[in-house]
Amino acid sequence: MTGEELKKLGILAKIEIKDAEVESYLKKLNSEIAIANAISELDTNGINPTTHVSELRNVWRDDIVKPASKETFDEMMKVAPETEGTFYKVEKILEA
Amino acid sequence: MKDIDILKLTAVELSAKICSGEISNDKVTQTCLNHIKEVEPKIKAYQLVLENGALAQPKVSGEKCSSLAGVPIAIKDNIMIKNHPVTACSKMLENYIAPYNATVIEKLKNAGTLLIGKTNMDELAMGSSTETSAFMRTNNPWDLSLIPGGSSGGSAAAVAAFTVPLALGTDTGGSIRQPAAFCGVVGFKPSYGLVSRFGAVALASSLDQIGTFSRTVKDTAVLFDIIAGADYKDPMCEPLENPSFSQGLDEANFKGLKVGVFKDVDYIKLDPEIKKAYKENIQKIKDSGAEIVELEIPSYQYIPAIYKIIMCAEASANLAKFDGIRYGYRAKNVRNLTEIFEKSRGEALGREVKERILFGTFVLSAKNYHNYFDKAQRARTVLINETKEAFKKCNVLFTPTTTQMPTRSGAELSEYCDVFSTASNLTGASGISVPAGLLGGVPVGMHFSAPRLKDADALKAAAAFEKISGWDSSKLPSALG
Repeated sequence: MTGEELKKLGILAKIEIKDAEVESYLKKLNSEIAIANAISELDTNGINPTTHVSELRNVWRDDIVKPASKETFDEMMKVAPETEGTFYKVEKILEA
Repeated sequence: MKDIDILKLTAVELSAKICSGEISNDKVTQTCLNHIKEVEPKIKAYQLVLENGALAQPKVSGEKCSSLAGVPIAIKDNIMIKNHPVTACSKMLENYIAPYNATVIEKLKNAGTLLIGKTNMDELAMGSSTETSAFMRTNNPWDLSLIPGGSSGGSAAAVAAFTVPLALGTDTGGSIRQPAAFCGVVGFKPSYGLVSRFGAVALASSLDQIGTFSRTVKDTAVLFDIIAGADYKDPMCEPLENPSFSQGLDEANFKGLKVGVFKDVDYIKLDPEIKKAYKENIQKIKDSGAEIVELEIPSYQYIPAIYKIIMCAEASANLAKFDGIRYGYRAKNVRNLTEIFEKSRGEALGREVKERILFGTFVLSAKNYHNYFDKAQRARTVLINETKEAFKKCNVLFTPTTTQMPTRSGAELSEYCDVFSTASNLTGASGISVPAGLLGGVPVGMHFSAPRLKDADALKAAAAFEKISGWDSSKLPSALG
């Protein structure tokens, strides 16, 4: 992995990576990649991937929106960093 | 009854004495709180002690007594107790107050247990030493200079230091069983899907499981009886009504049991002392009437790679929810929405967590998906198939819990350290670590694994082993003596 690839990963993962951190991140991630590379030698031809080990199947219900109680709503808003009225407040999402 | 004698009671014994009126509920709580005050400066197991919360629990005695009524229990700080902080030991959640109870907490409250505190852990359960906690380090009660293991190191140390007879943890690759082994207590990860994870902070959802710490296998099973069972709030939770895993443990023995053991293999570098202890314990099990079956599961050598890829990939997706908008930390001095995300996550998440998210993003990116994530999921199938074959030849698999002993703080553990415990997360099997003695004054753990949903077999083997291991579960750890 190169510094450029790392910066791109940071953008994808939405994690700020400072220039001073690049070298140490690369050292760690490249050693992780080396460990992960071990599986390339395992023959997995004709083997299906496992996404989870449960044999349960999804249970469906009608997709009906039910109003949340005022209490639940207040609880959810109370833990938000910044709110205005009934909304979460964020910085602008479009540059002028 | 002297305070130390109360602290040394098992959960089952303690509850019986509370229910019969021999010891009051308040006396038990106060004794625990006093002991926490005494040992906490050395151990640092607790992220939060719920002095008022614990004492405000319902009183239980007489007819209404359940099997763990009045018993104090410590909870890993990634499990939600309503109206109390749940930090997962991350700055991201430092000021977050749980708006609801985890299902396991509801069940513990219904059973009348006393929730006495939240325990320290690796940040967001990412680590094997409890050193990545954003707030403090926990010390091993047997030698304060050693790590307690992790990520549930606080829960393991809390039980090992006799501050509580029971604790809950979470286990994604060995996060209950490895610290249990390092601290000399019993640590149990049930089969995937037997305990609801609703209200626990997720790490890797196809591997995560809530499990238990205690000083005896019986206590583990009784606690498991309470927290196991169906919950529609966790879609992976198996329909299981009125579980009774604690039945028949007193009579458990090895007679006629087929116990699978590992052949010597080069890629798993066992600490020579652990290897010696492993061989001795195999002999003890054999002498107790078990049939020993030598096995090899070749794909074990790929476990560190498979685990790293799948765990990091799932973690990177799960942790996308920490965006600085709906809850958790938000960075100051940001100019736009993207900076809210990048700086909030950059500033509030610890180094280990960020590395895992970046690695997870790497293996999921279009260029690498085929060679890493998809390949690891197929390799996981190979491991599952080989493990199924192995379990055709034996009832339980017996291994050491870890391949090495706890290190000094600051040293790195080998990527193979948790290979035996991680195998059960990847295959969905149950796994239990049981103390097997001291090596150089520090506990060593042995591990039983049974096929998925055959948890009773793992518990019975562990209970049988407990009788022949020679471990004294009422002995105080040396650093507290």
